Order: sequence, then structure tokens, then C-alpha cells
Amino acid sequence: MRQLRTQALVGAAWLVFAAPAHAALGGAYDSVLADRAHLSAKLSSSPAATHTVHALTTANGGVAREYARPDGGVFAVSWRGPARPDLRQLLGGYFDTFQADNAPRGGRRARRPLAVNRADIVVHTGGHPGAFWGVAYLPKMTPAGFSARDLQ
Amino acid sequence: MIRTLCALGALILLSACGGGGGGGSSSVASSTPPSPPPTLTNTAAVTVDAGPAVLDTGPDAYIQDNTLFVSVTLCAPGTTNCQTIDHVQVDTGSVGLRIIQSVLSPSLLTAMPLQTDPSGNPVGECFGFIDGYVFGSVRQADFQIGGETVAGMPLQVVGDTGVFSTVPSSCSSGGGMNMNTVPEFGANGIIGIGTTTTDCGTFCQTAGGFSAAIYYDCPPSGCASIIARTAAAAAPFQQLPNPVAAMSVDNNGTIISLPAPPAAGEASLAGTLYFGIGTQTNNALGAATVLTVTTSASANGPGLFTAIYSGQTLNESFLDSGSTTYFFVDNTITACSGADFVGYYCPASPLSLNPTLQGLNGASVAGPITLNNAQTLLSTNFSALPGLGANPNVVTGLMAYPNSFDFGLPFFFGRKIYTALEGRSAGGTVGPYIAF
Repeated sequence: MRQLRTQALVGAAWLVFAAPAHAALGGAYDSVLADRAHLSAKLSSSPAATHTVHALTTANGGVAREYARPDGGVFAVSWRGPARPDLRQLLGGYFDTFQADNAPRGGRRARRPLAVNRADIVVHTGGHPGAFWGVAYLPKMTPAGFSARDLQ
Repeated sequence: MIRTLCALGALILLSACGGGGGGGSSSVASSTPPSPPPTLTNTAAVTVDAGPAVLDTGPDAYIQDNTLFVSVTLCAPGTTNCQTIDHVQVDTGSVGLRIIQSVLSPSLLTAMPLQTDPSGNPVGECFGFIDGYVFGSVRQADFQIGGETVAGMPLQVVGDTGVFSTVPSSCSSGGGMNMNTVPEFGANGIIGIGTTTTDCGTFCQTAGGFSAAIYYDCPPSGCASIIARTAAAAAPFQQLPNPVAAMSVDNNGTIISLPAPPAAGEASLAGTLYFGIGTQTNNALGAATVLTVTTSASANGPGLFTAIYSGQTLNESFLDSGSTTYFFVDNTITACSGADFVGYYCPASPLSLNPTLQGLNGASVAGPITLNNAQTLLSTNFSALPGLGANPNVVTGLMAYPNSFDFGLPFFFGRKIYTALEGRSAGGTVGPYIAF
């Protein structure tokens, strides 16, 4: 069952790469532009050794960073600001997985940070109202030489 | 009793309740013997317990853990149409009063005016928490907690009906659960008493971008347009104020004082929430170490200081009574193995940890904690669970991220924690700061 679900996700990721217009994570450069428009953000891009960082800064200071491979594919997104950004937009096809993996389970409850830990997507979040941060990345799509510790 | 008298007094002269400095309600409570010292009313009883009874019913029954509760009283403005609401979560990690609609009596709900915007439409609000979001109306009520009052204070009515029953997609797209019922929220409401004086500050005065709170114009066709709302902690209000900042006295901060439960946990704890720091004879700063924290102007957000833990300098750390556990990343600590306890820490025996907390002012203080086995604690029927810790990354992380140690409610056990508000002088130091 788990195997099937993983395969379905990989398939979804491939589709997103093929038709990237409405998703950043797993999308191509034009999806960064779509995100910029959706968030009404200012875009500044800076190259790093193994990747390019596209920083989207919104009018009130929130920042989302998209990490792109040399071929343009976005393999990670991070954010920092007074709230979580539009993750439906930034996570694209992975948003449903993000929501499903954070659906409440029975038993004891805890206000705990939203997170996803799968072979093909990892999401870590944190903070408190007014100071939220998070990162989402696709371990199988990171460029050679990239360390997840480079995400900020 | 004094509280009831005060509420009645509100009908006649609202500012008489908590409005006259120490023992502000003395003119109303004059039937008590006038001998000094006056009874201080800048306190409210707080508890850590199983939560609203409704949580422990039905197929998804559960009891709360490490959640701090208080009772608040709301009245339709200028009237005695009042209701006391128990089990409102006390949260130093957020700002603003939010009440789940279903706990309000229909007569009070309809008598609480909807806040309106320049278009004459009701104002809606989306507010994000770490695990989801709430959406609802902004209404006004006369607010009372302990002996303190705020007239005509805006609050969020979460899960309000009518035009507010549809959550805008720009609200839900932040992700997580829509927590618009008591079981989903885990409390009858939440009172945010963090370091900022309003719930969104300048972020909501600038159009565009993701905001701590999102205010909406809500015509009959639905809440869609995001609108700017000014940050004011006194009337005329627009954004939700920090209820403490909006009080006429004792408005520079709070103290949360809780006893330490036994290591195995306890069914409930009783403590005290003090309003004001250095404003009365019962809320002096004393020998507490003041650690100043980031302001709302900080790029990283408000309320943050540095924790030095296990050789790491974690400069986005914070104290949060609304977090049920310590959240920090330490892959050397044994993680729980039970499927229901993924992400929690399960040391085989109590584990002493020694984070140092360092303020922006350079002051630092040791914050020793003892981490207990989460699976053992969470398998009890207790609600006060000391030393409960979890890894926010759920499983062993590949990343150093985040640079944060969240000192949740367990840190408050056996301590007296001061929270001073931004821009308010408290005990000789201007906030925002935390102290203990």
C-alpha cells in the first residue's frame, strides 16, 4: 500500500515537471514567475555553487526562497515571515500530501509543527504566530553536491 | 464575587473596573471592610487540566495535555448580557482573544456587534497557528479577566456562521487543519498574551504578502478581499489587540506562575496569571533575569532570543505557553518507538538538559530542564506532563533547520515566567522581554 502511494507521488512529480505552470516545488523556472505573480512578490535570483536561489519578497516583508537546479527545476522551497505563505501555490502538487500527512489522528493531541517525512518529499516547519518558518524539499531531485544544510 | 460586582459596575461606569490603579475596583467593592491592604485584583486563576468536557466524548475522545487554561467574561458592550467562558487557552506565543462560536450563548453572540470596515461590511479574520488556522468574524465585547477589563474589545469569533461559514482559499492555503470547533481547537478559545500589542502589527497595514493575521472585507457575497487594518492597542481598535496591552492598568506584561508537577505527571495543576509587571505589590520583577527579545520589526518575527544548546547557537528560540512540549532537534536523544508517539523523545531514564537562554541585551541565564519519557507520560490519564519533548522534524532530520528551541509549557512548570510587552516599560526595562 505504501509502495503504491510512493509510486503515485513520483508520477505526480513527473507530471508537475512536464506542466509546471501552477507549481513551484517540482516545477521549472516559469513556475517561479507564476509564484511571483501569485504572491505579488519582488524576485531576486542569486547563483550558488550547485543551484540558484530565487528569493520572492512580499510587500510586507515575508520571504519565500525557491532553490533551482542548473536545469531550472525547483527542488526546494523555504519561507520565513509573519505567517505561512500560500503553500497550496508553493507546494503545488505536493500540497495534498502535506495536508494528508498532517490530518489529525485519534488520541492525544498536541499543537505540533506541520511536517512531512517521505522518501520523495520532506517538509519541516516551525515558529509561532508572527514568526513562522519552514522548508520543503525533494530529496530525490536535489542537484549533485547539494547539502540540505544549505537551505535557509 | 468581586468579579460579579465589577461586571455589574461595568453597566454604570466601565472604567471603574480595574481602572484606578491598585485595587481599581475598590469603589465598587466598598461593601467589603475598608481596612488596608486592599485586595489586589490583577490576577486570574489558571489551570492545566483535561480541557473542556466535550473533548472527552464521542469516538474521537481525548484529554488535553500541557495546556494552560483560564476563564474570561464577555459582555455585550455596555450591558449585563454577559457570559463567563472557561477553558480558554493561555498563549504567550500569539496575540488576541479568539472564542469558538459554539460556546457563546446565542443571545450574547447576536448582541456582540460585528466590526465593520470602510465599505460598511463586516470584517473577517484568518489567523494561523503552528498546526493550522482559524477563520471567523471580528466582533466587539466588554472583556473581563480577573479584575481587569477592556471595553469594546475586538475578538475573533472562530467558526462564526453566515458569510463567515466559508473559509477563503487564501486562508486555507496556508495549510494545516481548520480548527473551527472545540474538539478541533482543543479549547473553548485562546487568549494570546505574547509580546506584541496587536495580533498583526504593521504587516496588516501593508497590502500584500503573507500576514500573521489576514483581515477580510466580508460583503454578503463572501469574504474575499484582504484589507488593511490599523494596529491600535486602545480604542478605536481595528486589529485584535493583546488584551493585556488594552487594559487601562497593569498593561505592561504578565507573569505566569505554576507549581511543578511530580515527574510522573499530575491530573491537574493550579496556578496564577498576574497582570502587570512592577505595577502592584504582587507583581514585582524581583531577582528575575531580563532577556530582551526581538520586536515585531525584526525580519525573523517577534519574541525570539538565543538558546545555546548542545554546542548550537539557536537564535530563533522562544518561550511559548501554547506549545504543549519542548520542541527542539537533538538526534542523540532516543526517539519514541510507538506508532502513536512518533517524533516525541523517549529517554530511558530522566535526562537532564542544560540550555542557556540569552537575550538580545546580552544577559543570559541557565534554563535547566529534565526530559522524561514521552510515551510513558502520554500513556497516563494525566494532563500536566513535565519534561515532555518532541522533535519538530518528526524523525531524524537531515537538516540543521530550524535554529530554534521552543520552550513550551513544561518550561513554565515550577517557574514564574515574566512576559513584557513591546514598547512598554516594565520593572525598569522597556519590553519586549521575557524574564524568570
